[in-house]
Amino acid sequence: MANTNLIKDKYKLDIVKYRYFWLSFTGILLIPCIVAIIYLMVTQPNHSPLKLGIDFTGGTILQYSIDKKISIDEIGKIRTDLQNIGIKNPVIQTTTEAGADEAKSEVKNLISIRTTFIGDKESKDKVGEITDAIVKDFSSAQLVQVNSVGPTLGSELLRNTLTALILAFILMVIYISFRFRTEYGWIALLTLFQDVIVVVGVFAIKGIFFDTTVDSLFITALLTIIGYSINDTIVVFDRIRENMRFLAKKYSSGEIIDASINQTLARSINTSATTLFTLLALYFFGGSTIKDFALAIIIGVVAGAYSSIFTAGPILSIVKERIEKKHA
Amino acid sequence: MKNKLILFWIIMAITIASIFVDYKKPASLGLDLVGGSRLMLEAQTSSSVPKITPEIMDSLQYAIENRVNAMGVGETIVQRIGTKRLLIEIPNITDTAKAKEFIGQTAQLEFKRPKMLPDGTMDWESTGLTGKDLRKSLVGSAPTTGEWMVELEFNAEGAKKFSDLTKELTGKQMAIFFNDKLQSAPRVNEQISGGRAQITGGEGGFEYAEAKEMVDLLNAGALPVGAEVIQEESVGPTLGQDSINKSKIAGIIGISVVMLFMILYYRVLGLISCFALIIYSLVNFALFKLIPVTLTLTGIAGFILSIGMAIDANILIFERTKEELKMGRSLFTAINSGFDRAFTSIFDSNVSTIMTCLILYYFGASMVKGFALTLIIGVCLSMFSAITVTKNFMHLIFGSKEMKYPELFGLRQEDIENAYVATETKREKAKFGVLD
Repeated sequence: MANTNLIKDKYKLDIVKYRYFWLSFTGILLIPCIVAIIYLMVTQPNHSPLKLGIDFTGGTILQYSIDKKISIDEIGKIRTDLQNIGIKNPVIQTTTEAGADEAKSEVKNLISIRTTFIGDKESKDKVGEITDAIVKDFSSAQLVQVNSVGPTLGSELLRNTLTALILAFILMVIYISFRFRTEYGWIALLTLFQDVIVVVGVFAIKGIFFDTTVDSLFITALLTIIGYSINDTIVVFDRIRENMRFLAKKYSSGEIIDASINQTLARSINTSATTLFTLLALYFFGGSTIKDFALAIIIGVVAGAYSSIFTAGPILSIVKERIEKKHA
Repeated sequence: MKNKLILFWIIMAITIASIFVDYKKPASLGLDLVGGSRLMLEAQTSSSVPKITPEIMDSLQYAIENRVNAMGVGETIVQRIGTKRLLIEIPNITDTAKAKEFIGQTAQLEFKRPKMLPDGTMDWESTGLTGKDLRKSLVGSAPTTGEWMVELEFNAEGAKKFSDLTKELTGKQMAIFFNDKLQSAPRVNEQISGGRAQITGGEGGFEYAEAKEMVDLLNAGALPVGAEVIQEESVGPTLGQDSINKSKIAGIIGISVVMLFMILYYRVLGLISCFALIIYSLVNFALFKLIPVTLTLTGIAGFILSIGMAIDANILIFERTKEELKMGRSLFTAINSGFDRAFTSIFDSNVSTIMTCLILYYFGASMVKGFALTLIIGVCLSMFSAITVTKNFMHLIFGSKEMKYPELFGLRQEDIENAYVATETKREKAKFGVLD
């Protein structure tokens, strides 16, 4: 009979058998993330694990659209011009929108200039001065976006953000422990933590090498990940719990966990895949404003699917064995 | 069966109503899509105003509203945020330098009298008659020269002060200062008791715009406290339009790829979920317009993301249905238990998403709120589309038919054959949804 021993020959993935391998493999994947985070915490004056954008530090970003590509020499010229009108250490970045249809998109090349906060009385006319300086170099330049956050508001946003993140974690623990046994709750939290480390780590690495900063949208992405990536873990745990109820006498907890992961594998992958499709569409076609936002959730969704299989399973099997040994 | 048909027509009615709303009602788009500026002002305490009270905020808001409206740029919004902040939304204006200057502008009108300094030079000193003593002001033109001027009308107290002052200064010069700038210094010929005065713009007179701005500022009243801009977001109309186009492309591509995947993987079931997804999108957009939700760039991102999440519930249900079919259940039972068994997972995952969105909505800045709101609406609505709509379609299409073509469900022929030869005890076990 083909289905007399489904629990064995259905295996596609041997998770529990090689659990220490999978855990070490995950650990190795996490190392660059953790190193980057620690590196930034040590080197940055505010000891933040990420390079913070103007939302949290205060500052002003001006974006100009220009009808041609901007060379490195030209960036250097802009920098000197800006320094001449008294802008200290401007951060100048250029983006070229790829993928967008050339004829359709009017906004192709963007220069963004980040400075300290412009808005208080002394620096009122600075935006005008900067615009004049840019237009002198590029007659086609057009101011398309201004973002300005005062320093006090920045630190307030940072506080709110951290409160929101901690609150989200606490709520998740309460909800999962309420729905599952405590050990499931803690493991779910651990996988969640791992997902967040991966996303923060990737952006820390991006920060080190590409000077990528994070804004409120990034934190929004983190919270979305916390809410979403727990879903895969819930699906796997739901199945493990269900199988435990009926199979606990016949099979070891390791076998049940393996079977459960394999039974839910298709849906773990497919649910993440459909969400990824929409996110990838946003990443490639949604414009530069939400590119990093989409990227953060993409990483989070992949990390969430991975951790629900390769972290939650092995750890749960270890915990279950400990509990069984205690009872035996 | 009859109930199912009724439900089907209800779903159709909702869909048609949504199409109607989608078509008829314009979406309300956020400033980042239409172009415009958003300024956050914070009232500043000073030695004369050590504490910002709600009353002070009321008059600040009133004065700012008047000033913003005087700019005549369409629908502006001035909203109180917290205890000492005002959020100002001005559509169509990206160059905020002027707006900021206008909003933050003090409007101090002062009448001064000449004063001889000890060293023999002349200066001006305050008389106590200021802009506070005005009832209103207007732009007028001088009857003889046709030059623009500002006409002032004093209130009762102001009229008395002005009358006294002109009596005192008859034969001398009187100076009118606006924001510490000397506007004109006419010679007073006689006492003026009518409670009216004019400011002519010195030599050459006022430009019209100059006179108009002064009048607007005087009429709006002085700000009770200083207010500083602590946050600013401006988006130009070209960038806004560009964002709309890009979101549309991203949305269409995202939804198409999801549908294609569902059809390829789940075949006939996938096709059903695509119809459910279309209904979901139509109803969702109608809800945005009816509530109404102001769509921002991040809000649209939330909606597009919710499409990917809405289909998750269908995947969970279909996978479960396939499992049940493999265990030899009839199609009808398999569909029903597919829904029942998947429900807890669907519910749990949606609750966790909604919880984090609520936190975002509560703590987030306005940009984040838009995302949280559309995602919450999307997730709640997906429960309706994935469960009610898909289930109804599946029942109507398959009814109590036997399954003839497992390929239609993305299953192999032998999966089913194996299931059918299963023994009675296997069936018994299968009841518990266990793959043994």
